[in-house]
Amino acid sequence: MKITNLSVRFPNIEMKFTDYEFQSGVTMITGRNGTGKTTLLRALAGLTDYSGTIINSKTMTYVAQEPVLFNRTVYENIIYSLEIRKLEIDDEKIKYLAEKLSLETLLKRNALKLSGGEKIKVSIIRGIMFNPDILLLDEPTTHMDLESIDELIKVIKELKKEMDIYIISHNKSFIDAVMEHEYSLGDRNV
Amino acid sequence: MNEILEIVLLSLFVSGTATVIAALIGIPSGIFLSISNFAGKKSVKRVIFTLMSLPPVVLGLIVLLIISNEGPLGGLNLLFTAKAIIIAQTLLILPIITGNIITSTEELSVKLIDTVKTLGGKKKDIIKLIMLETKPFIITAIILGFSRAISEVGAVILVGGNIKGSTRVMTGYITLNTSMGNRNESLIMGGILLVIAFIVNSLLERYRYENN
Ligand SMILES: Nc1ncnc2c1ncn2[C@@H]1O[C@H](COP(=O)(O)OP(=O)(O)OP(=O)(O)O)[C@@H](O)[C@H]1O
Ligand SMILES: [Mg+2]
Repeated sequence: MKITNLSVRFPNIEMKFTDYEFQSGVTMITGRNGTGKTTLLRALAGLTDYSGTIINSKTMTYVAQEPVLFNRTVYENIIYSLEIRKLEIDDEKIKYLAEKLSLETLLKRNALKLSGGEKIKVSIIRGIMFNPDILLLDEPTTHMDLESIDELIKVIKELKKEMDIYIISHNKSFIDAVMEHEYSLGDRNV
Repeated sequence: MNEILEIVLLSLFVSGTATVIAALIGIPSGIFLSISNFAGKKSVKRVIFTLMSLPPVVLGLIVLLIISNEGPLGGLNLLFTAKAIIIAQTLLILPIITGNIITSTEELSVKLIDTVKTLGGKKKDIIKLIMLETKPFIITAIILGFSRAISEVGAVILVGGNIKGSTRVMTGYITLNTSMGNRNESLIMGGILLVIAFIVNSLLERYRYENN
């Protein structure tokens, strides 16, 4: 995936992004608040209009900082992308990932009633069920406790064998634990 | 007693019909306005929100002018019929249903669209999911519309005429009997209206609860 001359314009602000070619593995996207990290991931995911070019032929999924879960059980949320594709459900994989992220007891609960950290974990599993080539994570550690962050680090290290992962984060120890490449937006975008 | 039953049934029929018509138009319009982007959308929304607080008597007057003998629809002989009441109640609650759907579902719908897109969903998946996820809000809007319709007095008497046996609904019956000093009749009908309001509100609470 490669971006050139990429810029996104909102009514009161325009963000220009330095040209960059993403490498395989884990890329951390860093920069101060308001530099456009979320905007960049949303543009990559096709959720925001932009000008310039994004060269990409891979499938991807975007896990928002405050993910929107559906009013149904956690399990039903997780299988959504398979359901709409009429694909077979790999219950072993769901069980495996749920255990890795300490969600195994929550699968039958209504997803809207989960805590912030639990919602992000569910959203990550929901996102990767259809095996996208790229996983985009927007500040996944925000609501997570220290144990959950450790679990997430382990999961990312396993997942990166199957997909590229671009992660926005402000969490120094988390960044150090998983970073292979860095795309820094610096202090300020014009 | 027979008269009271007839009036209750007429009220339920008239307001129920108005609610069904307003819902059939208001639900798709509300969802469309929640998820689409077009020039002038803001103005359309502003008009709907303004109409939500239009005084019913003014609305009744407009309907009266349109369907009275000299009006554009005078030839249809709608004035002082149950149909006239249905028209007035439909127009009264259409903006209420549409506006409530917009305010309660717009933010959620936009987020749902992004979420489905990022999971690889197509347009049909988006529409299906929005219908499912916003169902409690839509039902709430419909119930609000119905309770607004069945409790309306001014517009109903203006266009219906409060005629015994044909256009006298519960609120008209209460108004008339109160003005004639028949407190008991008014109280009985008021009690029935209260029971209906209670049932309707219980439904509302149930859906509110399911939603949280
Ligand atoms: N939909 C929008 N409409 C208008 N302005 C927006 C919109 N989305 C983002 N912005 C603006 O664009 C800028 C970048 O926002 P963005 O959310 O991408 O920053 P960020 O780098 O993710 O910040 P943070 O670290 O706080 O999450 C901000 O100034 C923000 O106000
Ligand atoms: Mg952000």
